[in-house]
Amino acid sequence: MSKTEGQEVVLIAVLVVLWLALGFGTDTFFAASNLQNILATVAPVTIIGIGMTAVIVTGGIDVSVGSALAVVLVVVAKMVRDSGLTLVPAVIAGLVTGGVLGALNGALVAYGRVHAIIITFGTLNIFRFVALQIFDGKEVAGVPGTLEFLGGGTEGRSFGIPHSWLLAVLLAAGMWFYMRHAPTGRHLYAIGGNAPAAWLAGIRVNRRLVGVYAVTGILVGLAACCVIGGGGLVAQSAGTGLELQVIAAVVIGGTSILGGRGSVLGTVLGALLVGTVTSAVTLLGWHSELTALFIGVFILLAVGADLGRVSRPPSAIAGPDAVPDATAETPKDNQYSRHSGGDARNRPDPDSHRTGTPRHGQMRERRRRRE
Amino acid sequence: MRAVIAILLSVSLVVTGCSKKDQPAAGDQARVKVAFVPKLQGIPYFEAMNTGGRKAAKDLGIDWIYKGGTTADPGAQTEILKSLIQQKVDVLVVAPNDPDSVVPVLADAASKGIKVLTSDTDAPNSVREMFVNQATADGIGTAVVDSLMAAMNQRGKFAIVSCGQTAANLNSWIDVQKRHAAAKYPNATLVDTVYAGEDEAKAVSMAKDLMNAHPDLTGLIGQCTASAPGVAKAVREAGKIGKVFTVGVGTPNSMKPYLQDGSSSAAVLWDVEQLGYLTAWAGLKVKKGEQPQATNNVSAKLPAVKYEGKMLLLGDPLKLSKDNVGDYDY
Repeated sequence: MSKTEGQEVVLIAVLVVLWLALGFGTDTFFAASNLQNILATVAPVTIIGIGMTAVIVTGGIDVSVGSALAVVLVVVAKMVRDSGLTLVPAVIAGLVTGGVLGALNGALVAYGRVHAIIITFGTLNIFRFVALQIFDGKEVAGVPGTLEFLGGGTEGRSFGIPHSWLLAVLLAAGMWFYMRHAPTGRHLYAIGGNAPAAWLAGIRVNRRLVGVYAVTGILVGLAACCVIGGGGLVAQSAGTGLELQVIAAVVIGGTSILGGRGSVLGTVLGALLVGTVTSAVTLLGWHSELTALFIGVFILLAVGADLGRVSRPPSAIAGPDAVPDATAETPKDNQYSRHSGGDARNRPDPDSHRTGTPRHGQMRERRRRRE
Repeated sequence: MRAVIAILLSVSLVVTGCSKKDQPAAGDQARVKVAFVPKLQGIPYFEAMNTGGRKAAKDLGIDWIYKGGTTADPGAQTEILKSLIQQKVDVLVVAPNDPDSVVPVLADAASKGIKVLTSDTDAPNSVREMFVNQATADGIGTAVVDSLMAAMNQRGKFAIVSCGQTAANLNSWIDVQKRHAAAKYPNATLVDTVYAGEDEAKAVSMAKDLMNAHPDLTGLIGQCTASAPGVAKAVREAGKIGKVFTVGVGTPNSMKPYLQDGSSSAAVLWDVEQLGYLTAWAGLKVKKGEQPQATNNVSAKLPAVKYEGKMLLLGDPLKLSKDNVGDYDY
């Protein structure tokens, strides 16, 4: 955990340096309208990133969020425009739609025994199909400003701060507390560190997995409401490539793509970094394509830092019998062993037991690394 | 297990193969089959072209086939073109995603006796016999700049929010806009050109970035159907209606609310349905081996279509304002 926080400290430092440089380098970086634009733009990615962090910590991934967003966008936009839904029912409709899609992902991942990237790659295409069917060959134009409370306009701000960003921060704080202090939140790390052992330790692995994907879906629903915001146009291409933006924020935030390690705080900082760089490139009058270069470099640096941590010989971290990564760094990693009254990690061959999750590959990988 | 999969696959191949062959054969064998492959299916622009094409097919007594991918992907488009060649259509019209990557497959079609045309976007290096052009780059580029300058009182700073960085037609419009603005409006300066992809939300965000970067900016151009409403929404959300003026290449339905509240001063487009109509008409003409006249009376709505150097030109761009935007439904 302390090493993850190391990444967060580095990120905060990078952000501060970047902001100061932009503050001196441009006249308008610290103008309210600019900061408001960055925060409002970053908010949807951050909100989804909160769920994605939990998903990736369990050793999974959800690449279907962009398509799921498109489904929620078209459903909510049509309801708002055609049925005159008001703010609260519209948001609820968005959360429910997103939650259903997310729960479907979760059920398939938990019980399908196939890696999450395959499952959600499938649902990415299926959700996109569903969205296109609902679009019915027409983009949704003329969406009224019902959801402007969550949008990027004046109505979407209180005390100058975008509501969508406030929501993102609140939700991130909640998720951070949950994953750090709630027993079931700690389970997510245990599952990502070693799913069979977690299962043996009495953790309801499948239930936790369905939960994190469903929560991600609900957050996608909320993000969609923020994207609709002041209304206007919802086009068929909406949400394309969003999954990569979200995963970029999570990975840059220091969450290990192998699972078992990471924090929501890092994701928030990662999203802010990406948002700042994207905006800065325009602000400085540089070519738009440089954004892609910078984000790519950040991802490689972040993953490189992560690999640097993992590939250190186990003896450098602890004794020869220690589990190399996540669980060893988790201060409360005996949380789950308490349930079984012993140390699950020392069982001879967890692979030979039934497990509800497809982590054998990772298990083998870990063991190989240990040897 | 493997055997079962193999059987299933072969069955499905036979089934889909049959249905593909049956579809066109269901019509009268003598009818000319014109297939149009859009950049992607399901977006209002090409759906409107399809509507026009179907109308023409009814008037002219031909079969109109409309088939595109769900993404604007050159590879997927090539696959669709290949499948249509397999179906032995008479005329193949394509709006290429990548003008160069369709060259071999179009040559293949021509070698099998299929007449090849392009519409909406040209593939000048291909064997196509005709290009149905919605508007010239000059027509669009000057119309956009003239409309914006009218709103900006012919002076001030403006910026362009374009979409795909490699989109040939958008880039050709940008070139014209730069040249035209420099020549005709000496008091106006283009300060930046940014690329938002085909993403409205990103266009909104980038337009706001531009307004922040240049506090004295008074004009924005939304270069494609995603960024045209995007720049208008940015102006509306920034509370700069009447201070920053926008003009874009946008579809009527998407621009309507912005034209009405003044966040968009004008939108420039062409009559997309008529472009579809003209595409079908051109396909039949080429199949019959007839050379169009210099000026053609295609239909009541297209009384004088010009033809020059293998290019059929739909006509002058359509200018949308708050007064006429309600007349179109796409």
